[in-house]
Amino acid sequence: MKLSSLILAVILLTTYSLSAQRSIEFEEYTLDNGLKVLLHQDNSAPVVAVSVMYHVGSKNERPDRTGFAHFFEHLLFEGSENIGRGEFMKYIENAGGTFNANTSFDRTFYYEVFPSNELELGLWLESERMLHAKVETKGIETQREVVKEERRQTIDNQPYATFPEEIQKRAFKKHPYRWSIIGSMDHINAAEEQDFKQFYADFYVPNNAILSIAGDFEVKGTKKLIQQYFGTIPKGKNEIYRPNIVEPPLKGEIRDTVYDNIQLPAVIQAYRTPAQGTEDYYAVSMLSTLLSNGESSRMYRALVDEQQKALGAGTFPFPTEDPGLEFVFGIANVGVDVGDLENAMDAEVNKVQEELISEKEFQKLRNQVESTFISSNSTVQGIAQSMANYEMYFGDANLINTELDRYMKVSKEDIQKAAKKYFHKDNRVVLHYLPKSAKP
Amino acid sequence: MKKILFFLIASFTIISLHGQEDFRKQRPKPGPAPKVKLGETQEFQLDNGLKVIVVENHKLPRVSFQLFINVPLIQEKGAVGMSGLAGQMLKTGTSTKSKAEIDEAVDFIGAAFSTSSNGMFGSALSKHKETLLDLMTDVLYNPSFPADEFDKLKNQTLSGLTFSKDDPNTIAGNVATVLRYGKDHPYGEITTEASVENITVDMCKEYYNNYFLPNLSYLIIVGDITGKEAENVANKYFSSWKRKDIAKERFETPTAPKEREVAFVNKTGAVQSVINITYPLDLKPGSEYATKAGLLNSILGGGATGRLFQNLREDKGYTYGAYSSLSNDPNVGYFAASASVRNEVTDSSLMEFMNELNRIRDVEIDAEELKYAKAKQAGSFTRSLENPQSLASYAFNTARYKLSKDYYSNYLQRLDRITAEDLKETANKFIRPDNAYVLVVGNKDEVVEKIKPFDADGQVDFYDIYGTKLQPVTAALPSDLDGDGVIAKYIKALGGADKLATVNDLTTKMSGSIQGQTIDITNQQKNGKMSVTTSLSGQVMAQQVFDGKKGMVMQMGAKQPLDEKQASAMKIQALPFPELKYGALGVKAELKGLDNVDGKKVYEVVLTRPDGSKVTDFFDAQSYLKLRSVQTVEAMGQTITNTTDFAGYKEVEGIQFPHSITISGMLPIPLKTKVESISINSGISDDVFKIE
Repeated sequence: MKLSSLILAVILLTTYSLSAQRSIEFEEYTLDNGLKVLLHQDNSAPVVAVSVMYHVGSKNERPDRTGFAHFFEHLLFEGSENIGRGEFMKYIENAGGTFNANTSFDRTFYYEVFPSNELELGLWLESERMLHAKVETKGIETQREVVKEERRQTIDNQPYATFPEEIQKRAFKKHPYRWSIIGSMDHINAAEEQDFKQFYADFYVPNNAILSIAGDFEVKGTKKLIQQYFGTIPKGKNEIYRPNIVEPPLKGEIRDTVYDNIQLPAVIQAYRTPAQGTEDYYAVSMLSTLLSNGESSRMYRALVDEQQKALGAGTFPFPTEDPGLEFVFGIANVGVDVGDLENAMDAEVNKVQEELISEKEFQKLRNQVESTFISSNSTVQGIAQSMANYEMYFGDANLINTELDRYMKVSKEDIQKAAKKYFHKDNRVVLHYLPKSAKP
Repeated sequence: MKKILFFLIASFTIISLHGQEDFRKQRPKPGPAPKVKLGETQEFQLDNGLKVIVVENHKLPRVSFQLFINVPLIQEKGAVGMSGLAGQMLKTGTSTKSKAEIDEAVDFIGAAFSTSSNGMFGSALSKHKETLLDLMTDVLYNPSFPADEFDKLKNQTLSGLTFSKDDPNTIAGNVATVLRYGKDHPYGEITTEASVENITVDMCKEYYNNYFLPNLSYLIIVGDITGKEAENVANKYFSSWKRKDIAKERFETPTAPKEREVAFVNKTGAVQSVINITYPLDLKPGSEYATKAGLLNSILGGGATGRLFQNLREDKGYTYGAYSSLSNDPNVGYFAASASVRNEVTDSSLMEFMNELNRIRDVEIDAEELKYAKAKQAGSFTRSLENPQSLASYAFNTARYKLSKDYYSNYLQRLDRITAEDLKETANKFIRPDNAYVLVVGNKDEVVEKIKPFDADGQVDFYDIYGTKLQPVTAALPSDLDGDGVIAKYIKALGGADKLATVNDLTTKMSGSIQGQTIDITNQQKNGKMSVTTSLSGQVMAQQVFDGKKGMVMQMGAKQPLDEKQASAMKIQALPFPELKYGALGVKAELKGLDNVDGKKVYEVVLTRPDGSKVTDFFDAQSYLKLRSVQTVEAMGQTITNTTDFAGYKEVEGIQFPHSITISGMLPIPLKTKVESISINSGISDDVFKIE
């Protein structure tokens, strides 16, 4: 098993270097306990990124424990059997390293970047986190407060910042994407010791994780260290919960008004879109670029520059493993009616549906997508994260080199089709954000 | 004996099988420090004096071009902000392209492009490099400075200033700049609304003509390009650029104050104080002390592990963050230590700042703290090397500051050699708590008395928000004057109680503008009833009606009754001249002291209403007219300080009315209104005040 995947990796490696001139070369293999390993060697600077991605995000949560995956990310910096409380970060900083972690709907990611002589420290820290993290009552209480403060700072006290959860609960009725990543503070308060033990035993297991390392290291010695630190971590015994829930179509526009601590009203539309990696997903993504990438994009030019109806306008996706959302937003200029603004936004979408885009604009889109794709792999941390993402979602880390081909397959007609198929009223949620003072 | 040994080995084996493996128990030892080798850079100069630095890096097929104009020290005098605006103007049009065409061309190749007062930056995939350079050099050689784009940018700059000028952090930044360098040094110039108003498009053109010269410039090329190619494009695109010699002006180097000076900017109603301890210093890039100073500052206040953060936040809980910086500069560097703290701990915080600044001078740093601080600095330098742009900036600094060729490649060795003794010496040279400006932006009534002891002579100097020193208001209050006395004189100044009492109804029409939209406000008052209508570009946006007992607000089609507290406040506001009835209304007036409003000496009077709410009014000490009114309210879960400024008093039917009223605090941008008309006793119908 181990041998064959190694051989396969070597074969694949040769193919990769032939197919793309400046491809990111990597090795991949799987340990006996199911931990996937991705190694990208780049000795040009004495820097190394060590990362672990766990295939657990907010969609794997129980409906009465929302926010748990993100809360857990905080708890896993508390310490372990061999790392005292609060020392995790000190080890990293005192070694001249830096670190962070993030949680999405579908996965949780931890990384450290070190001068390359501290690679082993990174392996030790991550293996401690996977093998026997220690979560004490005091740590739970502290992190509860930290998460609440995070919610206050990043959501409650930020204008418009409640929009993801306001949209999600209306756009999804069955799928766990109906709740936000930060989740409910009540659920986090209600969590008990057994919940933590269960979550850790279910999801923080080698067979649900990818160890991704990029940068300046020596392959043979590193593989030995990986075996030493991670090889004896036992495989998970429990079945991993992966919701298999198909959200039915929206079948009709949902409209609502949200009153928030804001001065300028805003329009936020969310269209239901296909899962990432599908052909239609790439067409929607190109459509989004057309509408909002750069000062010459359709929405920026029309709404901000020419009509001056919006202070800002644009689009962005919620890229998700299961079918997700594409957001279109506009913040009204002083004195502009939200209805007017929404009509102007819809007019831009209608134009794409009715008129095929010109060859020149299509070429611009392709150039923008190419430039963004190529520029995205500029740091070892970014490469480690991208490889792990592609491997986790598509089982193909090599998409880090080839995903651009999928974008380049999208035709002008595909973009128009995607606009018609997904950007129609029956497939969207529309929220008007108004100042609290306007509340009846 | 042998048996026992065997038994020991056996039991050890069993334990390690069932327990955890030994290697997990402690942190693995780091490997030998990596050999940090800075990549090669190539440098050459064109005949016109343009210096070119090339960092080859083929990891990604993209390349960037940065043109850095080493503009000499210049004063912008009355038009501060001009060079910034000139820089932004560059990419808004050329002799052959409009702004829209430039944007389109940049996006077409998926490039990034920006211009500024000291140059421009462009990056793109390497296959598009010539297209990018065509565009960049068109902007460099043929900018057209279109008038409409100039107006747009100027307005945006003004809105930005209006938006931020009351922000305490902005105020602290501006005033600290002026204190450090003085207004006569180019570094001490700050951008104000007045200075932006003075900028003309011709000044921008002149700036461009004077300083966008090859002999002042560096072209820094980074990325997927060979040295030979770089030389070719540099020659092709930049050799026709004409050089011109310019004169450089000299300025006196600012110096630190002889003794500690406390400077204060009043923010009436503030709940937090912004503290900034600062002074200029002589610390040049690449000098003997530069590396030591960097390490020293990281220990003192360079982030969450710094002493200031650990003390003021983690230990005392006074603030969300406390930091310091020790900045080197070829002309004049500076020290600054800052934090935002609650009013009641302002003096305790200053005490802790002083303790930390003194401790790092007096006590040698212990070995462990030094070791980890070095590891952090070394790690941060090492990690920076994966980005070719940092390599380029090291080469650029080496060239522009004339550092020794191996300055950066020896950085880690230099850092490693620093001892605790060195840092103590460095601290005694550069950390000077007794020769610092201690700037506090905050609530005068709650803070000033307590921070006086931090000033060497116990005298706090007051400044306005742009760092102009205010005349000391030391004059004692007249002993025969109290709050009621000031109010009486105000009534007299308006026209006298008898005259004011003849006003039965009053209609005031005002207009102003917000981001290009006209806003009209009509205020009608009659016998304790009131109606305020606000229109935006002719459309009614909000209406507020008070019928003497209850009130209603209508906004964007929604109606909301006023609660009891709001209604009781309206009872007072609805009167054209509430001052006439303060006695009957139960409003208490207390004379707080003397102050300054826009350079005028004023009496500060705090008015307390029966419900306990307070308003602070400021009356001109000579004319007794009201110049400012400030009220702090809780709204939408936030504390908002509303300030209304009155100016341009003119007589209407024998009564003085302000004809310019500026409201700030509750709106994102202060609203400046002009009083268009005032009519007295026009016979307003009672229907106006009816609430259905």
